[in-house]
Amino acid sequence: MPLGGGYFKTTYAGDLALVDTRLRRTALAAALLALLLLPRFASSFVLDLITQTALAAIGALALNLLTGLAGQVSLGHAGFIAAGAFTTGVLVEHRMPSPLLALPAAALVGAVLGVVVGIPALRLKGLYLALGTLALHHVVLYACGEFQNHWGANTGVSIPPPRFGGFVLKGTIAWYYALTAIAGLVLVLSVNLQRSRTGRAWMAIRDREIAAESVGIDVARYKVLAFVWSSALTSVAGALFAYQRAFVSVEAFGFFLAIEYIAMVIIGGLGSALGAVLGAAFVTLLPYGIDTAVAALRVPGGAEYYLFPLKFGAFGLLMAAFLVFEPQGLVGVWRRVRNWVFLWPLRYRPLRSAS
Amino acid sequence: MTAAFDVVTALLELENLEVVYHRVATAIQGVSLRVPPAQIVTLLGTNGAGKTTTLRAASGFLGADNAQIVGGRVVFQGATVTGHKPHELARRGLVLVPERDKVFETLTVQENLRALVPGVRADADPTRPPVTLEQVFHYFPVLAKRRRQLAGYLSGGERQMLALATALLCRPRVLLVDELSLGLAPLVVESLMTLVARLRDELGLAVLLVEQNAGAALAVANYGYVMEHGRIVYDGPAERLLAHEDVREFYLGVGHRADRKRYTDVKQYQRRRRWF
Repeated sequence: MPLGGGYFKTTYAGDLALVDTRLRRTALAAALLALLLLPRFASSFVLDLITQTALAAIGALALNLLTGLAGQVSLGHAGFIAAGAFTTGVLVEHRMPSPLLALPAAALVGAVLGVVVGIPALRLKGLYLALGTLALHHVVLYACGEFQNHWGANTGVSIPPPRFGGFVLKGTIAWYYALTAIAGLVLVLSVNLQRSRTGRAWMAIRDREIAAESVGIDVARYKVLAFVWSSALTSVAGALFAYQRAFVSVEAFGFFLAIEYIAMVIIGGLGSALGAVLGAAFVTLLPYGIDTAVAALRVPGGAEYYLFPLKFGAFGLLMAAFLVFEPQGLVGVWRRVRNWVFLWPLRYRPLRSAS
Repeated sequence: MTAAFDVVTALLELENLEVVYHRVATAIQGVSLRVPPAQIVTLLGTNGAGKTTTLRAASGFLGADNAQIVGGRVVFQGATVTGHKPHELARRGLVLVPERDKVFETLTVQENLRALVPGVRADADPTRPPVTLEQVFHYFPVLAKRRRQLAGYLSGGERQMLALATALLCRPRVLLVDELSLGLAPLVVESLMTLVARLRDELGLAVLLVEQNAGAALAVANYGYVMEHGRIVYDGPAERLLAHEDVREFYLGVGHRADRKRYTDVKQYQRRRRWF
């Protein structure tokens, strides 16, 4: 934490620790306890919202690895989610519904797709890369659509609840625990990736590719690696999505989903794992927030007709507003609040004295 | 010259400027300086001292770096222009030659010189020097020779000249120059500095020259300010700065005293760097 205070790390282990201060340890323990005890107090609606957020957070964290850390824009994220979901679908159709098989298979399919898109992406930058990944999205969706038309009774594939031996994962509370736990694992994984050699290489490539190459980072390898990690994790999120919704259909993975994921990492704050989680929560909860606001405003009858476009409009407006007013995203807001608290009663960190 | 200095109204005046980056970190504090007409004022200091920040605050370029002026004001020709947009200031005659990204690399030299917006009221203002393309080529003959070349293929010194020439064509009243000498050979630096001095003498241009190369800057400047850790620590006419023992030692690298060679003396040096 770049603060003017007197907190210094004195041991190597202390420097390596993921949760390094007592304040953070306490906060983490409190958060874990709250998440653990929440099903006792919260309604199933709230639990479902958190479950959805956790699912979105897995995808957002994966996209953050690629876009936030390695700096590669991807509009094909919904394609990777579809790939994971349909891997599960295909396996279910072939009477292999076990998640122990489907999740690794989804990861493998995602990783292969990551290589497939990652290698041509080495030659593409910026807008061209965005278009290239968008093309991948369409290719994957086309393949999934073909599968759906031939084997899925045209509407989609039903997925049975995942079964681990005698245990069947079913019901709001079970899914809540499962997905928040997995999202937590992915969060730890992505924070650790960020701190590791790989993550630092990605950030170096993002910030200045030539400089990164000149200090000995194999740019091609690490870019493909970013695509592989990101798409593998995203496909796993897709497989989880399929199991949780119990149904897979191409319509769920349109272009809007890709935009939503991009919005999550941008609104949350590019390059920050915490930001990806915050962004996922924001984008997931926004439609419900608008619904609540509209209900509270008691819009006269007939105006509901306009609510659907209003939701889309609000989404777009908020995203644009974030880009303009808070380019660092929700994580920037959080940092500002934190700085304010730590610097109080000063407003700014003072000049360092000449000594 | 010293006596006359205070009497003349300054064209550009910074008063107690305070700049904060990312809404947290203070970069400069209480920075005041004056640029009178037809003089070269130089702002010296090591890197990180706040020179560029000061220049960007004066020319309105802070927004791009997520920084803002939180105190003090910028006065240009008697009007407060704190926080005005860079293009607005450039049209009024406060023109910046930035440290990097100063030319359009995909345009030729000639196109670069044409792709600019002279001040809207520049013609109506008799105090602004009328600058023509011929004049620019007269000052920078190299550019005339390379007028059909892409600016991206120019050498560092030529690029610097092109940037100066482009700025000149904006008919500035005050030219703000960031690190004219950066990455250039001593001979090139010397000729560029001489050129700047000629612009002052022949066109009556006022220049604020931000420099790390104190020797080269003080050779042509009338007045100098020394910045350290975000504050102005010393100022005076160029001759006085050149004669100042600490400036000589820390910025010009001359006048080492024999008894300062040991490590403890270096520590002494660290402490002595505070002028007040």
